Amino acid sequence: MYYPYFITYMGIGLAISLAVFYWALNNGQFKDQQRARFLPLADETAPIRIRASRLGRYEIYALFVLAVAGLALSAGVLIFALTRG
Amino acid sequence: MSNAMATSPEKHLTARGFCITSACWMAVATFMGLLGAIELVAPDLTENLGWIVFGRVRPIHVNLVLFGFVTPGLLSAAYYFVPKLLRTRLYSEKLGLVTVITWNLALVAGVATLAAGLSQGREYAELIWPIDMAIVIAFGLIFFNLIMTVKQRNEPLLYVSVWYVLAAALLTGVTFALGNVVWQPDSGALVGIPDAILLWFYGHNIFGLLLTPLSAAVAYYVIPRACRAPLYSHTLSLLGFWSLIVIYTHVGTHHLLQVPVPTWLKVVAIVDSIAMVIPVMAFLINIWYTARGKLGEVHADVGAKFVFTGTIMYFFVSIQGSMMALPQVQRVTHFNNWVVAHAHIGVLGFAGMIALGGLYYVLPRMTGKPLYSRFLADLQYWLVLIGISGFAIVLTIVGLIQGNAWLNGETVYRVLPEIHIYYITRASLGVMIFCGALIGLFNIAKTLLAPSGENA
Ligand code: HEM
Repeated sequence: MYYPYFITYMGIGLAISLAVFYWALNNGQFKDQQRARFLPLADETAPIRIRASRLGRYEIYALFVLAVAGLALSAGVLIFALTRG
Repeated sequence: MSNAMATSPEKHLTARGFCITSACWMAVATFMGLLGAIELVAPDLTENLGWIVFGRVRPIHVNLVLFGFVTPGLLSAAYYFVPKLLRTRLYSEKLGLVTVITWNLALVAGVATLAAGLSQGREYAELIWPIDMAIVIAFGLIFFNLIMTVKQRNEPLLYVSVWYVLAAALLTGVTFALGNVVWQPDSGALVGIPDAILLWFYGHNIFGLLLTPLSAAVAYYVIPRACRAPLYSHTLSLLGFWSLIVIYTHVGTHHLLQVPVPTWLKVVAIVDSIAMVIPVMAFLINIWYTARGKLGEVHADVGAKFVFTGTIMYFFVSIQGSMMALPQVQRVTHFNNWVVAHAHIGVLGFAGMIALGGLYYVLPRMTGKPLYSRFLADLQYWLVLIGISGFAIVLTIVGLIQGNAWLNGETVYRVLPEIHIYYITRASLGVMIFCGALIGLFNIAKTLLAPSGENA
């Protein structure tokens, strides 16, 4: 008999989430979303212009190659698993 | 908040405590991983040393990576930025320090007991009851400290990072207690299939409701700041947050698709695993659009560079994860090194990278001193990145060899020689990651211990 455990488990999560959502709704947390976008910048000092170094640009290319290789690998493997699995 | 507090410079002791905790345990955790990898190449290596046989090294490695390196790294950044985003101070640095100490005592006890063979034998829930309780208490303290900080805030709006951090602390506290069945101190388990289901609800929530939200919180803080641009859309971020909370909580059974659990649970798990595309893409689109046209700025800040790379890994691991939840795919990928590849992309490539990025981003700001060496941080970045990319490739190949062999009904011992070379490659890649951890520890310790300057 294991249903009680899962119902309790999911129930607690759901109850907490709903209660918090209700609070957020009444507290105006979903209003003023434009201002919310700027919150991380609040204590930002004057912007410093940063020029990407030459090394930095090479790093971007290297990352791009890695990302493409990763995507290709994932696609290849998926096709392999679906056709041969 | 008292006036004295408002004027005295902030020391960020809790954030510093979790920072050094993460750096130290990363070195130990990756060493244990390396040791485990070497044991897979040479199983007789530690033959007569009971406390470091593979069966004990593995849970020590896994627990230290999760609770020693990644979680404290993310928490360090969170303890720094949550008060900043709320325009107040941390409710109690003393309580924070007590949390750091409790956390570290639990880790030391965890390593000692696991090495001694005291284990509850359930994956990610191996630790014995007293240590489980210490961790539950630590999560309780974290949540209490942060919610009290929220209560004393001067900024009425909760930025999405604050939402994520609070949810992670609260839900993990609850999940950890339930998943470790703390009301059964002796076994820490239910019986039979129900235990497997409960364990994997918990197990998946460690990634989904602890590492993922904390990592998202760090990324949502670091990327807009590094780019000096507002977040692309706060509404989208909240949509991502709430959909993650709703969907991620019941995908655990996708770990048990080949087990006789009720079909309805499997269906819920599979459907929700595919639906995870919603919170994942909500997060990624938001972060990537915020950084659009500003990759130069991201690369100029080593912390942001780590974080941004972590978001790319998140894309891979999540798309891969959704595919792996399909029974047809899992026929090949389950129970072999494919899953180990996925686990490393997720925990190290995504959450670990973001934890390191968070640390490097907040470290100079919380100490008021520049990072000891940008070069060493870059070196660590490349060591970890090459290590993790190599892991992904090598372990995926091994997984496919093993999965196909199994499907074809081949016996295990005939497959082992085939994968030996990959295990050697994997151990060598582990050396890179371990070296990266040592370099990181040195760099972070040197920064923390340098003569003090102005506090941020
Ligand atoms: C959309 C997101 C994701 C989905 C749908 C997903 C799906 C899955 C599935 C189906 C498995 C079980 C594979 C099997 O046993 O055959 C798995 C395992 C695993 N996942 Fe994910 N995953 C996701 C993201 C992540 C992330 C972000 C992390 C880390 C932060 C992660 C860490 C792990 C780990 C460590 C395991 C191995 C569990 C074990 O020990 O067996 N996953 N994932």
